[in-house]
Amino acid sequence: MIYLDNAATTKPSKYALETADKFNNECFYNPSALYQGGIDNSKEIKLSKDKLLKHLGVDNKNFEVIYTSCGSESDNMAIFCCKKRGVFVTSKGEHSAVYKSFSELKQKGLTVEFIDLNVDGSINEEILLEYVKNNKVDFVSIVHVNNETGAINDINKLAKLIKSIDKNIVFHSDGVQAFGKIPYIISNDVDFYSISAHKVNGLKGVGALIKKRSLNVSPLIFGGGQENGFRSGTENIFGIKVFEYASETHYNILTKNYDLVGEYNKYLRQNLDKEIFTIISSENASPYILSVSAKGLRGEVLMHSLEEFGIIVGNGSACSSKNRYSRVLEACGYKKEHLDGVLRISFSVENSFDEIKFATEKINLVAQKLKGIINK
Amino acid sequence: MTNAIIIRYCEIHLKGKNRGFFEKMLRENIKKSLKGIEFTFTSMHSRYLIENFSDDDYLTICSKLDKIAGIHTYSKALVVNNDFEEIFLACKELCKDKIGTFKVETNRADKNFSPNSMQTSMLLGGRLLEIYSQNISVDVKNPSFTVYVDIREDGKSFIYTDVIHSLSGMPVGSTGKGLLLISGGIDSPVAGYMTCKRGMKLDCLHFHSYPYTGQAAKEKVIELTKRVGEYNGGINLYVVSFTKIQEEIHKKCPDEFMITLMRRFMMRIAERLALKIGGQAIITGESLGQVASQTIESITSSNSVVTMPVLRPLIMFDKNEIIDISRKIDTYETSILPYEDCCTVFLPDYPAIKPNLEKVINAENLLDVEGLIEDAMREIEVINL
Repeated sequence: MIYLDNAATTKPSKYALETADKFNNECFYNPSALYQGGIDNSKEIKLSKDKLLKHLGVDNKNFEVIYTSCGSESDNMAIFCCKKRGVFVTSKGEHSAVYKSFSELKQKGLTVEFIDLNVDGSINEEILLEYVKNNKVDFVSIVHVNNETGAINDINKLAKLIKSIDKNIVFHSDGVQAFGKIPYIISNDVDFYSISAHKVNGLKGVGALIKKRSLNVSPLIFGGGQENGFRSGTENIFGIKVFEYASETHYNILTKNYDLVGEYNKYLRQNLDKEIFTIISSENASPYILSVSAKGLRGEVLMHSLEEFGIIVGNGSACSSKNRYSRVLEACGYKKEHLDGVLRISFSVENSFDEIKFATEKINLVAQKLKGIINK
Repeated sequence: MTNAIIIRYCEIHLKGKNRGFFEKMLRENIKKSLKGIEFTFTSMHSRYLIENFSDDDYLTICSKLDKIAGIHTYSKALVVNNDFEEIFLACKELCKDKIGTFKVETNRADKNFSPNSMQTSMLLGGRLLEIYSQNISVDVKNPSFTVYVDIREDGKSFIYTDVIHSLSGMPVGSTGKGLLLISGGIDSPVAGYMTCKRGMKLDCLHFHSYPYTGQAAKEKVIELTKRVGEYNGGINLYVVSFTKIQEEIHKKCPDEFMITLMRRFMMRIAERLALKIGGQAIITGESLGQVASQTIESITSSNSVVTMPVLRPLIMFDKNEIIDISRKIDTYETSILPYEDCCTVFLPDYPAIKPNLEKVINAENLLDVEGLIEDAMREIEVINL
């Protein structure tokens, strides 16, 4: 099987699973317990947090990590638990976890603005800054890497510009598709940053919200006071350690991986049948995601045909595949004939060049065949 | 004092000499549906009695009875001897949590029982009022609940307050066997449910067009078929690959007849399969004028390729009426999942709304109809649900 839907989820790292195995067996203790096993596990969690912060170029003086159950929970926490009223601004290119949370705020009567996108899926900076200048904004959330097109928003720059307009604005970014993939150092202007384990070969069920220490949040989940009281519930020690080891593997060779995946991306860009495919992702997007559209064809049909060759690709965002057209690509300005035929090809370093070549050949083949049938 | 469920049927009353056939079928359907649950079953005049079941199984039994065609109503009753004091104690038990207005209605088949029906109702009502006067009061014209006292000739009395309506209709299997064309949309499961309700035993046929439709679309159809199967006492789903036929029609025939020709192929395959499995009718979810393939001209075109009766339970139903039923039978949420459907991939921009039969036949003559049908019939997947 050639798995090219790594933006949906990744295969858990065997190394990370094996290294963390002891936390499922002999070191199973509750990290809140006061006997040695519990104290040790509590230390292990603290250690893992320091490592995550180190990957993002910061330490635990200014930032802290709150473990959650997923990226969506992290997003929800940042959005719902810091500012309770005021003006909330985001983009039309957000993952549903942010987009739907903002829609919920709107439902509750708060002022919410969804800023337009550029054609590649990045936020239109001018419109954003114009809005922030003209309105008394309280909270801004901008995705780091667009999960459908791979477009990268320069969030450090945006956060800085926004804070220069009003330093009290809280800035959040969903970094789920960026963490472990894009070289990035979190700046002091970014207040919240959401990440997820299963996108970097960790397990589903573990996410984290990176938060500036100076900011206070109220919990979404109340209980035993774990995670400094921000997020109660017994810590998923095994999942957390797998996340730590898996992300460490990524950060050890981040740029090497980036370059390798970039080669895969480039190969597909160059070799996909240009008569059929429109490349949606821009050249400077994350190399991990390549979104293309086969005009006049159906993405789902291509996907099924490729599955017969053992090739797994995504069509749009898997989390929202129940909705016919991609909200994000519509916001990029694409029309029906393109929206129907979208494929999202997302890579991992575990893919080989042979796989990419084989997949490219078959993607062209099935699209040409289908086009032949459809167009008679 | 013991528990019982009284099951009443409706239309079977109207049957004459063959009434026994319908009664037996309903009896067998009930027993089959309650398989795995411990109980005893008694046939009485115009009703059945379920007794000796565990209280824990009561809700499961109800949920099964709710889906058995031919059952008009059922009630959970307390069973006591034909003794006034025992009857009163049962009434007392049933009314202990009741609030509102009530009346007592007595039916005295045992004419030796004294006092008479009117007096029994009156005396019971009076005594109930004495003990529960805080919560209940009498209203014989429009009570919020009724205590039914059924004093039988065999020395037993049934006391109950609730009469639960079931499906009504005819026992499944009593009106023959049919093959339902099921698409994954809203209408066909509703048509299936209505057919079961009228007593026709069903199997389902679905046309799958991999890769134009995917596994998710098939799973959706399996899920919908299962729901229909709950009214049918289990069901078989036949899946026929339609890919080649669609591609051939698309390749060789005018676009406007795509849907018309597809429907003709579907009907032919359905008839052949129905004959093979002992079916006597084809059932579709068509509703007059709903879409291009459901105009009278389109129906004429698809109907003309088969001789078997084609039953269309929804033919005069509005979409909203169909949706209401689909919500009631819990298929709506599954039906509206937007996976590629057999009909959507090759949908032309302007399908023929009033296809001319002669032109349709001319277009069809461009195809190897027999060969395509034979190929499709060769590999039919059967899923027992």
